[in-house]
Amino acid sequence: MRNDRVQEKRRKGWVIGILVGLGFIALPLLIEGYWIRVLTSIFMYAIITAALNIIAGYTGYAAFGNIVFFGVGAYTTAMLMLRVGFYWWAGVIVGGILAAIFAILLGMPILRLRGHYFAIATLGINRAVEQIALDWGNFTGGGKGITLPLPKMEIHSFYSMIYFIMFGLLLFTVLTNFLIARSRLGYALRAIRDNEDAAEASGIFAPSSKIIAWSISAFFTGLAGGVFAYWFSFIEPATVFDIMIAVKAFVMMMLGGAGTVLGPVFGAFLIELISETVWGKFLTVHMLILGIIMVAVVILIPRGMLEVFQKRLSLMALLRRIKDQSV
Amino acid sequence: MDLLEGKSVSKQFGALKAVDQVDFHVQKGEILGLIGPNGAGKTTLVNLVTGIYPLTEGEILLDGKKINGLRPPRISRLGIARTFQIVKPFSGMTVRENVVIGSLFGKGGRERSTRTAFQEAERWIEFVRLQDYRNAPVDQINISSRKRMDLAKALAMEPNLLMLDEVMAGLNTKDIEEMMALVTRINRELKITLLVIEHVMKAVMSICDRVLVLHHGRKIADGPPREIVKDDRVIEAYLGERFAKVRKGLG
Repeated sequence: MRNDRVQEKRRKGWVIGILVGLGFIALPLLIEGYWIRVLTSIFMYAIITAALNIIAGYTGYAAFGNIVFFGVGAYTTAMLMLRVGFYWWAGVIVGGILAAIFAILLGMPILRLRGHYFAIATLGINRAVEQIALDWGNFTGGGKGITLPLPKMEIHSFYSMIYFIMFGLLLFTVLTNFLIARSRLGYALRAIRDNEDAAEASGIFAPSSKIIAWSISAFFTGLAGGVFAYWFSFIEPATVFDIMIAVKAFVMMMLGGAGTVLGPVFGAFLIELISETVWGKFLTVHMLILGIIMVAVVILIPRGMLEVFQKRLSLMALLRRIKDQSV
Repeated sequence: MDLLEGKSVSKQFGALKAVDQVDFHVQKGEILGLIGPNGAGKTTLVNLVTGIYPLTEGEILLDGKKINGLRPPRISRLGIARTFQIVKPFSGMTVRENVVIGSLFGKGGRERSTRTAFQEAERWIEFVRLQDYRNAPVDQINISSRKRMDLAKALAMEPNLLMLDEVMAGLNTKDIEEMMALVTRINRELKITLLVIEHVMKAVMSICDRVLVLHHGRKIADGPPREIVKDDRVIEAYLGERFAKVRKGLG
């Protein structure tokens, strides 16, 4: 009986998922310009957050500097298009692969660090790579940024194309999250998150599992960076290595539910929609509100909004948590 | 025949010799008790066998092959499983998922799909009688159930050698009886060799075939439980020199 109900729920979930997916595919027929761009940017944040979820959500390694892979993807795409004459899509793919390789090379030394030490090391790497992009001016364009070859198509269809590419990439990232969650790797990652010593004593090779997780995370982040570069056709170090993108992704992931398949995507949609429609008008307090949300999430719903929905927790139940914690 | 053998195994932390030139062996099929006062080096010895710490000196052999120097997961997959003195559960998972980690990554885990691993896990959950809690999050079960879950996870790894680190500590009398029966079944029915660190002497006396006593990192006695409890050095280690002398005077 229990199984029937679970299967029923699962089937319902798939139907809703497919309907939502079709909805997003049909949406460009109804909306234009501004909203296409807003949604494309939401998709991009959802990709970054879902990718972050693989290393930070499942594995429990707070990669605050994960945005370095976004920058690597963006710059690789830009350089390959400009200096080698690659097609944009080839540049994006190579960008993703380079980001993944970069994560493997970085992971070998720094994934040995745990907790805060790892988080701080990733921040340092992000700053270091940003500095390289700044100082290597005659190749990367330095602080002035760099302009990519413009697409040879009408601007509206270009934006629609990017919309679909970002959406497809998001589906790909979510699917990967889904497959990881149910796979051997997923169990290894969650065991590492919960207790790395016990995981190793159970036969899990923690170092290689973590490196694989981080390289998958970096791959998708790098792809998103590459598409971003082509979309904006102008990049500069301060934008593509912006630590605030990673901070925002952390808020989104934790708001939605770290270590779940759909939570991070849900969180990204929620934050970006609100940010676009409401806070956009209060630019000065934008970061303040983001900070308040982060504190509230950590105290009230450490497991994210998905848990709130699944367990149908009331506001009172959440407020009681504050009381429990102050004891 | 020896399943596990240690040759002058030593571990030094700074100036402290936690384990000092200990020779030991675990015979295939036996239950070996490992006892000693707090700080004697029992858990350190287990951590040396599982590869958590590198040895300062000496050698550890499994089935005649050297295993010291290998990483902990590699040693686990060779067929050595353990439980922890303070259970280290995977706190974000259910009881079933905790156990499945053992069947996914233990000795035979590589050939298993996650589906068959879950079926395997079910078997071990029933073996330790946790079927009522199989879907419970681990932070919602009591200490006795947690210890049994840890045991089920270790069994799911299908070890040849299972090392239990104070699996009875913190349990009440009834739970201790059950755990003793369970440990005996593991040895008799599953033919698993056991190394048992234990402070509950009643358990040591009744389930162990042989007992190894450590004190200040050194081996001070090795023999059948009945002889061990009469050994002067063991009594001295546990109760102090004065008591040992008094006893000798009376004896």
